[in-house]
Amino acid sequence: MAYLQLAHLSKSFGGPAAVDDFDLAIEKAEFVSLLGPSGCGKTTTLRMVAGFEVPDQGRILLDGNDITEMPPNQRHLGMVFQAYALFPNMTVADNVGFGLKVAKRPKDQITKRVEEMLGLIKMPKLGDRYPYQLSGGQQQRVALARALAISPQVLLLDEPLSALDAKIRVELRVEIRRIQQELRITTLYVTHDQEEALSLSDRVVVMSAGHMEQVGSPSEIYNFPNTPFVASFVGTLNQLRCKVVDVGQGKLSYNDQVFETRAPVRGAQGDTVTVMLRPEQMHIGSLSDENQLTGKVEMVTFLGSIVRVRVGLGQATVVLDLLNKRSLELPRVGEPITVSFPPHACWVMAEA
Amino acid sequence: MKETRRASVWAWLWFILGMLYFFIPLVATFEFSLRMLKGRYTFEAYRVAFTDPRFLQSFGYSLLWATLTIIFSMLLVVPTAYWVHLRLPKVRPWVEFVTLMPFVVPAVVLIFGLIRLYGHPPLVLTSTPILLIVGYTVLSLPYMFRSVDSGLRAIDVRTLTEAAQSLGAGWPTILGQVIFPNLRVGILSGVFLTFAIVMGEFTFAALLSWPAFGPYIEEIGSMRAYTPQAVSVLSFAVTWLSIGLIQWVGRGSGAQTQVAGTR
Repeated sequence: MAYLQLAHLSKSFGGPAAVDDFDLAIEKAEFVSLLGPSGCGKTTTLRMVAGFEVPDQGRILLDGNDITEMPPNQRHLGMVFQAYALFPNMTVADNVGFGLKVAKRPKDQITKRVEEMLGLIKMPKLGDRYPYQLSGGQQQRVALARALAISPQVLLLDEPLSALDAKIRVELRVEIRRIQQELRITTLYVTHDQEEALSLSDRVVVMSAGHMEQVGSPSEIYNFPNTPFVASFVGTLNQLRCKVVDVGQGKLSYNDQVFETRAPVRGAQGDTVTVMLRPEQMHIGSLSDENQLTGKVEMVTFLGSIVRVRVGLGQATVVLDLLNKRSLELPRVGEPITVSFPPHACWVMAEA
Repeated sequence: MKETRRASVWAWLWFILGMLYFFIPLVATFEFSLRMLKGRYTFEAYRVAFTDPRFLQSFGYSLLWATLTIIFSMLLVVPTAYWVHLRLPKVRPWVEFVTLMPFVVPAVVLIFGLIRLYGHPPLVLTSTPILLIVGYTVLSLPYMFRSVDSGLRAIDVRTLTEAAQSLGAGWPTILGQVIFPNLRVGILSGVFLTFAIVMGEFTFAALLSWPAFGPYIEEIGSMRAYTPQAVSVLSFAVTWLSIGLIQWVGRGSGAQTQVAGTR
């Protein structure tokens, strides 16, 4: 039996369902992310686990106990909010110790636990500061320590990094994962940032319009998307509208240039299908055993470790990523160019 | 450049006119209160006022009414405003409208209504100070509600509440340890305004026949010449002290706003 079981949860706020038949089993010490655009129901799902919303249908089981209708202050879950939500009238130490004080733990025990937590977030000397004296990143660390101080059964994080600068965001992301693995705490993490979800999680749940699109490990989600939504939401995706030439051999044509795919092709000869390709699967130049298409360089963006090239292929444009090397000769804008990609990299979807 | 300079000249002109309108009667009252002894300025009128036992007695009563009103209106307004912010944001304009009623309904009308309703069985309250306190609470509602409301708008009520809940806190703890302390400035400005209003109020106390500072000023005003002016000046001083205290508690806390100002 899973540690945290969300069984067929549904919730609506009067309109269409905000969450529709959400069904997920989370193991102990697992890190699961809910990933999706705003309004996809990920936050509502998290809030149902926290107890701030009551599901219309379905049950929530924690370690075998039904907590569906338990008030939030009895669930013993730690929650971290996007807006930090530190109590402005309390020092860092008082914030971290708040949950223990509410639980009427002895004072020396609280002091010890607060110290331990401040050590965990690497802010051992800032206990007597007030929240307004801290940076956003520090405040969120304190919020994390506060949530963890009560040794919660599950840690819930609602877009905790969204309000931070890019650099702090990456740093804190690493910290969150380190702390989670150190404490082996079951974690449910809500984000709209695919990079966060992919880099942090053991499993990712991609959501759209209230329902689950796909559940899987980060690499499964990225490399083997089940639905067009997952494919386009996670990572960058090139889409080419092609004509079916030969269903059996997987032959398609784009602008009269014929190429092959290993993916199963549905549809009859002459039908239009959409071929999807990841930018890193495409290369410049013609490689044997790979498909080739010709086009013209439209834009070259230098991003440090990679170089992103936009290529016009008639009606469509595609982007492809080159790994940067000192020896790399950057393509010039306006140049004719050949792009190649292996047949197994294509993913084919029938036109609706 | 020229435009703004001209605008600032006009602004100053109106400001000075306004201040004159406000201060000339005050200065005149003060000046008059010093002329009790012919031919020289003395504080004789103030000495007389302070030595009148009824002065201290009525002032003491007003202090008591003010304290009770403050406690009652705090217990009424803070949880109400908090709940409206947290759960019933759509109701906020209506609550605000209700709190503005004392500006629309004159105190006399309000007190006659209360006396008619509670002056005879089944519920006779005219013999207790309850009506007085309730009436004062209503009078102070616009100030108390707005002060607390602007304080609530300055903090993220919902998230703070949820954070406290997730840490195991129940409602009394949330209100007492999270919401009240963070509304300190808002609540205190409401408190001082309420204090100033109750200290000078006349209609309620007079019509309900309770001793208070307002009726006392009125009474001696019809009997003596100089002492009432002195007492009026003292009454103004109490009000100004309250406003000064609002400014003082509000200083430095940039995140919070005071009194009825919008942000």
